[in-house]
Amino acid sequence: MNVIRIAWKELLVNFRDMRTFVFMLAFPIVLMLILGTALTNAFQSGATVGEMSLLYRNTASSPQLTEAWNEFTAAIGREGVKTVAAAAGEDGRADVRDNRYSAYAEVSDDGIRFYGSTRDSIESSIIQGMLGAFADRYNLAAAALKEDPAAVPAILASADADSGSFVSESSLTPDRQPGSMGYYAIAMTTMIAFYSCMSASNLIRGERTRKTIVRLSAAPVGKGAIFAGKVIGCTIVNFLCVAAVVLFSKLAFGADWGTHYPLLLLVLLSEVLLAVSVGLGVSYLFKGDSARSVIMIFTQIASFVGGAYFPIEDVGFFSGISNISPMRWANEALTKMIYADNLQAAWPALGLNVGIAAVFLIAAILFMRRQEAL
Amino acid sequence: MNVLEIRNLTKKFGDFVAVDNMSLNVREGEIFGFLGANGAGKSTTINMIASLLRSTKGEIDLLGKNIAKNVKFAKMNIGIVPQDLAIYDNMTAYENVSFFAGLYGLRGTLLKERTLEALDFVGLGDKLKSYPKNFSGGMKRRLNIACAIAHRPKLIIMDEPTVGIDPQSRNYILQSVKQLNQMGSTIIYTSHYMEEVEEICTRIAIVDHGKIIAEGTKEQLKTIITDTKETWIGVKTDGALALEPLKQIQGVTAVRLEDNVIVIHSRAEVNNLNRIIQQLIAAQAEIRFVEEKAPNLETVFLTLTGRNLRD
Repeated sequence: MNVIRIAWKELLVNFRDMRTFVFMLAFPIVLMLILGTALTNAFQSGATVGEMSLLYRNTASSPQLTEAWNEFTAAIGREGVKTVAAAAGEDGRADVRDNRYSAYAEVSDDGIRFYGSTRDSIESSIIQGMLGAFADRYNLAAAALKEDPAAVPAILASADADSGSFVSESSLTPDRQPGSMGYYAIAMTTMIAFYSCMSASNLIRGERTRKTIVRLSAAPVGKGAIFAGKVIGCTIVNFLCVAAVVLFSKLAFGADWGTHYPLLLLVLLSEVLLAVSVGLGVSYLFKGDSARSVIMIFTQIASFVGGAYFPIEDVGFFSGISNISPMRWANEALTKMIYADNLQAAWPALGLNVGIAAVFLIAAILFMRRQEAL
Repeated sequence: MNVLEIRNLTKKFGDFVAVDNMSLNVREGEIFGFLGANGAGKSTTINMIASLLRSTKGEIDLLGKNIAKNVKFAKMNIGIVPQDLAIYDNMTAYENVSFFAGLYGLRGTLLKERTLEALDFVGLGDKLKSYPKNFSGGMKRRLNIACAIAHRPKLIIMDEPTVGIDPQSRNYILQSVKQLNQMGSTIIYTSHYMEEVEEICTRIAIVDHGKIIAEGTKEQLKTIITDTKETWIGVKTDGALALEPLKQIQGVTAVRLEDNVIVIHSRAEVNNLNRIIQQLIAAQAEIRFVEEKAPNLETVFLTLTGRNLRD
């Protein structure tokens, strides 16, 4: 009964503290909004193609080539590529350098010379691809002229009929991926769940600072009951804040949290429990304000390498380091659950969180039992 | 009947002996004054009585039971009013008292009744839903007391309960202490204010360097001092008055200045009043009155410990 009484006291004291709302609710929501909005482009997998324009100069003497070229320009024109014949004396390369055209092509009896714009690299690459396809077909037609002249019209005509096939596009559709708001909704939520270790590191120290530790210790309540009550209360307070952030991000920002809410909340609860245990354990391992400093430093490093501020790539130095961050485990588990419906991904995170929480809780209990007072 | 019996109590922190083989009894119905300068060992003793610290040696019995073997019984029967305010600013006055009383096993209607009773007793019955952060220093002190008495302990330990409050609140608290005592509680009271101890305590122990150096009623303690006299001289000076020359006068053992009154302790057998007055005239002090006083507790304390209580 006293465990519940102490846990309830924790809820009352924390929810009436403005700092709880600012730190555990306003802070992650504001960060989510800022980062999710500012870094929208960084999470887009597609690219926008601007106007494509090709300046050309045709000096070829071959009527077949000229005819084929004209058919080609007409065909790509229908695909949205603006083709312009260079005027006499006009420097096509200078025009491309001045960004007036995406590319410049010189067609002669020796072949086609291509100059692409580095500024409009996507547009010039597409045009280059089209030119490559045209050159292949023209070469094929030229070869056929020697062996089977009757086939030539059909080969060249295909450039017109299949004008859209100068560049063919195919892509593999990966699993659904989070957009910027989706990513930061997860990242900020797991970050704030781990920030619970800060309030947990103050659980006993706060009672000492307020001097209420004397009354608690003088009451006929065991150390174990006080400890359990405080851990339960702190975990509930922080989990409710985390759940509120999830709800707010879904309703206000439209963040995608998938459909597996019970398991998703269980992962977050286990992360809060882990954070509370780490905070409490460190507060016993390090005395006074040094515990606070250790927690602050560890939390910031874990947030940084755990992908709280930007996504960490799966390869390289940071990838190895990020695996020590509880936020990384939780982020990965939640992302897979939400975007790939992979519920199995929850179990490693749950196991690590609960296991490490148990280790820190046992350490804290051992330290507490060795001390005379709490 | 003894409510509290302490036998050969010792507490060491490493090599430092905070409480040194202390023995004392507190009888039922007493307001027992526990006097000592900072670091004398009062708080350590109180913490051992309240089961907050384990003794290195010795025994403490509460109501005839050894507290080390009956920790829960001891805690149930002790209420502690710590020197520092031990309340939650984010909980109302009612919630504070109710929370702590609940830890002593009170439930339901009884918990509510006792909480209201305690708050009424300290004069906060109309502030049930108010938060301590909006209270004056005196109100916080009273709430601090209410949190300790709601479970009706047999022994109440009050550690400097009137520190830093206005005279009106202090009087209220002192009256409350007397009233609690009349209602049957035995009280251990520590204070830096000697006049409080003189006013309310029925028996007093003076602690120094972890030992009890004197114990008895205030009248008994005053009889210990037969070789010291105290002279009060009211003065008016234009500037700061140097006390050092007065200390050099034969027979003078201590001099202090309190609100334009010089308090001089001298050996009883030495007649040095003429020389003291000559010294003050030489220092161009205007003498308003001269009065010889019987020893009070302050004198007793100073004589026994060589220190003022507030040192």
